Amino acid sequence: MKLILRLAPPLAFAAALLAIWFVVAELRLVSPVFLPSPGRAFGDLAARFADGSIWEPVGATVQRMILGWFLASLAGVALGAMIGLTPLARDLIEPTLEFLRPLPASAMIPVAILFFGLSENMAVSVIAFGSIWPVLMSSIFGFGAVRVRLQEVAALLGLSRAEFLAKIAIPSAMPDILAGMRSGLAVSLILAVVTEMQASLPGLGRDIFLAQRSFRSGELYAGLVMLGLIGVIINHGLQIAENRLLRWRPQRS
Amino acid sequence: MNRLARGALMPVLFLSFWEIAAKSGWLVYESLSWPSAIFLAGMGALADGSILLSTWQTCQAALLGLFIGSCIGILLGAILGLWAPVARMAGPTFDALRAIPSIALMPLFLLMFGWGLSMEAAVVAYACTWPVLIATWAAVRGVEPRLLEVADVLEMRFGERLRKIVLPAALVRINVGVRIALGVALVVAVTVEIAVNPRGLGYSLVLAQQSLKADLMYAQILWLALIGYLLNAALKTIEAPGGGAGRGA
Amino acid sequence: MTLASTKGDRHGADGAPVAVSLRKVGVTYSPIGRPVLEDISFDVREGEFLSIVGPSGCGKTTLLRMLAGLLRPTTGDALFNGAPIIGPSRERAIVFQDYTNALLPWRTVSGNVALALEKTVPVKAERDAKVAALVAKMGLAHAADRFPTQLSGGMQQRVQIARCLSQEPRIMLMDEPFGALDAMTRQTLQDELLALAAERRTTTVFITHDLEEAIYLGDRVTVLSANPGRIAEVIEVDLPRPRNQLTTREDPRFLAHRHHLFGLLQGH
Repeated sequence: MKLILRLAPPLAFAAALLAIWFVVAELRLVSPVFLPSPGRAFGDLAARFADGSIWEPVGATVQRMILGWFLASLAGVALGAMIGLTPLARDLIEPTLEFLRPLPASAMIPVAILFFGLSENMAVSVIAFGSIWPVLMSSIFGFGAVRVRLQEVAALLGLSRAEFLAKIAIPSAMPDILAGMRSGLAVSLILAVVTEMQASLPGLGRDIFLAQRSFRSGELYAGLVMLGLIGVIINHGLQIAENRLLRWRPQRS
Repeated sequence: MNRLARGALMPVLFLSFWEIAAKSGWLVYESLSWPSAIFLAGMGALADGSILLSTWQTCQAALLGLFIGSCIGILLGAILGLWAPVARMAGPTFDALRAIPSIALMPLFLLMFGWGLSMEAAVVAYACTWPVLIATWAAVRGVEPRLLEVADVLEMRFGERLRKIVLPAALVRINVGVRIALGVALVVAVTVEIAVNPRGLGYSLVLAQQSLKADLMYAQILWLALIGYLLNAALKTIEAPGGGAGRGA
Repeated sequence: MTLASTKGDRHGADGAPVAVSLRKVGVTYSPIGRPVLEDISFDVREGEFLSIVGPSGCGKTTLLRMLAGLLRPTTGDALFNGAPIIGPSRERAIVFQDYTNALLPWRTVSGNVALALEKTVPVKAERDAKVAALVAKMGLAHAADRFPTQLSGGMQQRVQIARCLSQEPRIMLMDEPFGALDAMTRQTLQDELLALAAERRTTTVFITHDLEEAIYLGDRVTVLSANPGRIAEVIEVDLPRPRNQLTTREDPRFLAHRHHLFGLLQGH
């Protein structure tokens, strides 16, 4: 009952927006080429769910983004640990990173196309290049912020380098690593869509693009809704995983 | 000085290796140019003004989009911040809208505006709205309640209240949001140009790649990195307490 | 005094075995800076409870970190059981004042205590039993599965002490361990510490800026003066054990020591 009371106002708001959309579209205040009625957009979406044709592009997009993101996270954490824990590596590498970091990841698309052609590898490498930055930067911060005291405790207990990493450094940097990975995932979804459009790889990005070219605006909106859903679902999933992994953190009210 | 030297060591080593390997002929690959050729290509593009023109086009779209997005973000953020019930109602819907990658809206805006400045600025505006909205929302919620009581006592109307009390009090934090959005704006503008819009730096990058002018392509990428770096450095000197947020969106 | 003669050093002037001996030790942080510690020479006897007291900035913490092996003396010799101290060792446990920073926040109370045993006791069941015993001994049994951030300061410091005990050290080095706790908790922990020390006969070096605490706990009290840190005096505390928060602190000898030491610290 309480849940219903809490959910009612947000649902009402969303319904009101949909109603406005419906009225505007029905009265043809905006050309249906740009704005189909919500019935058509959701009808198209429902139809694609019904015949199962939605899963193929969704699967392709999600697979691509997860692969690129996963590679980026691995590399980002490894590199971040190296830079964060060793001052020499920090001095050597960080200035270069600072220069490369603001570069829009999409600018690497032409380079990746030269090297890999219009292929899956091209897409994954661009996604990985773009989504490594949040993980890398927050890992560098996290590993650099391992408390001096804990390093001393490790020395006093005679922990080896590997034990220090596994028992002290990685758990200590974990909140930063996870936060970075979450922002990286948002970037990877964007880049998955861009590379699909650019290289015409199967996926939601290409579908949206094709829908626009043939003026099938219902399908376009259906694709947008789907992308939004993917973003929300994955973000929530990661948030839940984060809360479980970081149970030890004091609860914020 | 020592730190500077160490920081420069890797790039210098890398560039010299690249130059020597490419020139001596044991690293021949059509997609690889070499540093000296890239430098010359960049100088050429600067001399004939082509790179400056495309930079201007990109900045134009980025700034226009940033302006529109900031206005929308500040207005919506202020509304959400001032009326908690509205925020409770609209919050989830905004969260869902925010989850749509801005880039995915390119086809929609292309449909509406066709190619050109307006569609690019529209995508940028959408992307910039969110960081500004969130910063404003948080900032307005943080405005000292006493000030709002003053507004009540003076019987100010909404517009007056916003202009005279809320926005000045929340300005510092809104500023942080706008600065984050500025970084986002450049990234999104270039991305739109690379993906669909035939103008600006992104497009000339694609053109260079398609005409197999690898040296010019790399020169433009370095130029882009330089602009991003300078922008970042400039933002840092205005002192950003927000930290490293704000890529993508 | 050279290393060759260290065997002879194992016994102090009064014949009691010596755990730690410092000979003309000095510590300077930077080559051109003023020394933090200068000409420090004293012995810590096997099984004794030695308090070190001094004003802030007298290098107490530096002295303790040197004993732990976290830093090397610039001049002089620091010996532990006759061998020079060249680095940290499990034989010398240190209890830091800032317990919040010294505990692993992502591990439970049991997990924190287990940290020191993971190498030495590889069998999990055996290790768990040892951890449980120590946790119970420190009065933490009900909190064994809680995380440090969910505990009070006194409880967190107990966890750190339990972890240090679990490494079965030959000497406990304590750096103002109760300095950040409230008065009540502090007294409770003082008595628990004394009980532990009596039971285990572990040599303890206890640093504090609280005169009364130094006298109440110690067999001897070493007084440091500041700038640079030097030994001002070493006194024997001739108070009966077990000590008692009321009677010991009211004992005329306690008051006399307090009077004497207070004068010493004021004089500098």
